[in-house]
Amino acid sequence: MSANLANQERLRIFGLLSPAYLWLTVAIFLPLSAMLYFSFLSDVPFGDADWRHTTENYQAFFQTKTYATLLWKSIRLGLTVTAVAVLVGFPCAYVLAKTIKGRSREALFLLVILPFWSNSLVRIFSWAIVLRGNGVLELGLNAILPFQVDVNLMFSTPAVVIGLVHSYLPYVILTSYLALQAIDDNLIDAARSMGANKLTILWRVILPLSLPGLLAGAVLIFVPVVGSFMEPRILGGRVGTYYGTVIEDQFVAVFNWPLGAALSFILLAVVLLILAVASPVLKRAQT
Amino acid sequence: MSRVFLARLGKLWLACILFFLYAPIAVMAFMSFNASQYYQLPFDFSLKWYEKLAGNQEIVDAATRSVMIALATTVIATILGTAASVALFRYDFRGKRFLQVMLFPPIAIPWLITGTAMLIFFFGVGLGRGTPSVIIGHVALALPYVIVVVSARLATFDATLEEAARSLGADSWTVTREVTLPWISSGVIAGALFAFAVSFDQFVVSYFLSEPGDSTLPVLIYTSIRKGFTPEINAISTIIIVVSMAVMLFAARFSNFGGER
Amino acid sequence: MAEVSVQKITKTFGSLKALDDVTMDFPDGGFFALLGPSGSGKTTLLRAIAGFIFADSGTIRIGDQPVENVPVEKRDIGMMFQNYALFPNMTVSDNVGFGLRVRKVGAAEERRRIGEALDLVQLGQHGDRKPHQLSGGQRQRVALARAIVTNPRVLLLDEPLSALDKALRVDMQFELKRIQREIGITTIFVTHDQEEALTLSDKIGILRDGKMIQAGPPREVYNNPADLFTAAFLGEANILDALAGEGTDIKIPHGFPTGGTLAVRPENISISQVEPMADGLSKCQAVLERRVFAGAMATCILQSNGNRIKVISRDQDIPSDVAEGDRLWLTWPVEKTLSVPSGRH
Repeated sequence: MSANLANQERLRIFGLLSPAYLWLTVAIFLPLSAMLYFSFLSDVPFGDADWRHTTENYQAFFQTKTYATLLWKSIRLGLTVTAVAVLVGFPCAYVLAKTIKGRSREALFLLVILPFWSNSLVRIFSWAIVLRGNGVLELGLNAILPFQVDVNLMFSTPAVVIGLVHSYLPYVILTSYLALQAIDDNLIDAARSMGANKLTILWRVILPLSLPGLLAGAVLIFVPVVGSFMEPRILGGRVGTYYGTVIEDQFVAVFNWPLGAALSFILLAVVLLILAVASPVLKRAQT
Repeated sequence: MSRVFLARLGKLWLACILFFLYAPIAVMAFMSFNASQYYQLPFDFSLKWYEKLAGNQEIVDAATRSVMIALATTVIATILGTAASVALFRYDFRGKRFLQVMLFPPIAIPWLITGTAMLIFFFGVGLGRGTPSVIIGHVALALPYVIVVVSARLATFDATLEEAARSLGADSWTVTREVTLPWISSGVIAGALFAFAVSFDQFVVSYFLSEPGDSTLPVLIYTSIRKGFTPEINAISTIIIVVSMAVMLFAARFSNFGGER
Repeated sequence: MAEVSVQKITKTFGSLKALDDVTMDFPDGGFFALLGPSGSGKTTLLRAIAGFIFADSGTIRIGDQPVENVPVEKRDIGMMFQNYALFPNMTVSDNVGFGLRVRKVGAAEERRRIGEALDLVQLGQHGDRKPHQLSGGQRQRVALARAIVTNPRVLLLDEPLSALDKALRVDMQFELKRIQREIGITTIFVTHDQEEALTLSDKIGILRDGKMIQAGPPREVYNNPADLFTAAFLGEANILDALAGEGTDIKIPHGFPTGGTLAVRPENISISQVEPMADGLSKCQAVLERRVFAGAMATCILQSNGNRIKVISRDQDIPSDVAEGDRLWLTWPVEKTLSVPSGRH
């Protein structure tokens, strides 16, 4: 009947969508499948390496304590950074969303978000300058305090945490801000008219309503941090060995790609698990 | 605690956070103009690190390469992403929800995993490392951002305008060109700027996909840092930060403030 | 200009039957209304004629060309949208000339025809303005000019006047009719306002739940509604069946079909305080519940034997000392009785 027209439309839709999605398939989804396949090999199937199918890479994870320990270390790092970022960032978002009004709000918001969009590597590097021995922090503190301090935070876990918080803080501020902004001021006024004090309002009105946004930000921070390697390497030095750096090593130093693939997939599984657990709450953030 | 006091406290906290966010960057920029090689004060203004930068062929090459790759990524990602956004906006079809959900994995999966997976796959198909691989990777990372930004702009577009144009005899491409694109142009520009920023600042994926010696700027900086600091890195880093923030400032203007008629 | 013909059109959206075996003819040059409540399918039918929707079955012809497989941009129609849909980035002239540009008529011809169209809608001086600088009524006229400038075969209007306030709407109704007469284009418009449909159209199609209930000239549909719904939708109707009581005398005109429901329209009923003795009048008694003054007209609500009866008449025709609670006589001419086929409610 009008099948002709319907077909023409289908072709048009296909033509518009397929370049982008084909690209995504080729560049992301196929590689992920390839990596899954790789993780079950004993060696890279290029050149004249002798390779076969095996699960020994996964077994290595469960047999060698190192990997599991490092994964746990990375997860702990993720939790720490996320916790600090949320504690620091949420009040910030609240102030932006509720306390500041008008044009300055937009400008300040932009100011907060802007560093986030600049090069993360460079920002980490800038922390290296500040934190090192004889660095700016030490010099600055010495200038202010009456006594001599030796501050060399470089190559320590706190340095890694500081650097990561700095990198990802705007994420949680952004998502929390969006969620808080959507809360109708009338709700807060209504609660006050019913006699609620500030703490009650915070606990019973604001937090529940902004929780999806908060959680979205937390997830957006946790996931990359667990897989990070660049920041630990630069700021952590010898204590900067994490799960991510081990995976990095497999690809650039040790060249045990199958092992790297397997370790990556285990990380991916953990990440997906976290996302799955958080998604019911996150779905509410979409509306 | 009075409301005014809390409000002041809040603003103080905000100021502290802003200080925290910008201080290291400011320090780095500050130091890049300092003649001392070891970050010693007192401050001695000098442009010598920038001069050395201009003479450092390796860095200049990497910078040029980064810009070229970013431009290529921008063009490809913007065209592909805009086309996909228009299709998602204009038509209803089975599997549309699925396609919209499919945009999230690239952003949600740690770039470490995406980067290494790409490395494996490109080697597997014989492409290997190199600039083409980097571009392929960058476009894939930028696409979701372009689609999200352009789709957000499309959400404000009145679909009956397209119907009106069709009722006047315009075919699909004419409708897009004369009616849709003018409206979403600010979104497309914002998306393009996002794509540029994503590519220019991209480290992880570039790290795995670029040929050693033929690397992008962030990768070069990383390998240089591993070898030891030199203030030239300071200088180039300052430049990068300024460029990135400027690009994003433009993008923000186009996506937030542009296009209100 | 061409006639339009719709035969047995059916369209289902999921589980909803939006159009159910709809048939209607729209002769060349006429002004036609598609009338019905929300969800009746009238807009769906219009969009099917335009080509935005593909029917599941049935045929649509514009002129003698079957158009089921023709996309909207090739159907040579003009359409006016409820929100006008003027291109915000173009001037009034560019808006109006869009269809001409697409058809590549040439710059000089384009300018001439734009000028003519703008003059026709009395906006000749506004060519360089942008839509956001115009008032609602002006925007609507630009939309009309844009739709007709390409000399389409048929003009389709989707509730074109619903966004206007009352005074403007009446003016625009007049304008629309004048312009349509002048250029003689087959025009189909969708409305939920029955007064608008009655005023403007040569033929009304009444839709409900996707079915075409009745189609015909306004007077015919008004005086011979096909069912109770139509009787109450187009105008109002008092149902007479259960009326009884002292003095009630409902005369049935000759030749009325049996089995129908009897009804009479509020404007045909007269109120008097004494029992009328004339022949040829049906009559009954009722108690006045409420009298509503509305300027020239007045509405009375009365109760008779548990039935509500509504009477609309000139305020001056109602005796001034009539008060709530009074027992009054209602009369109406026998020939004004409606017999409505029952069964389809």
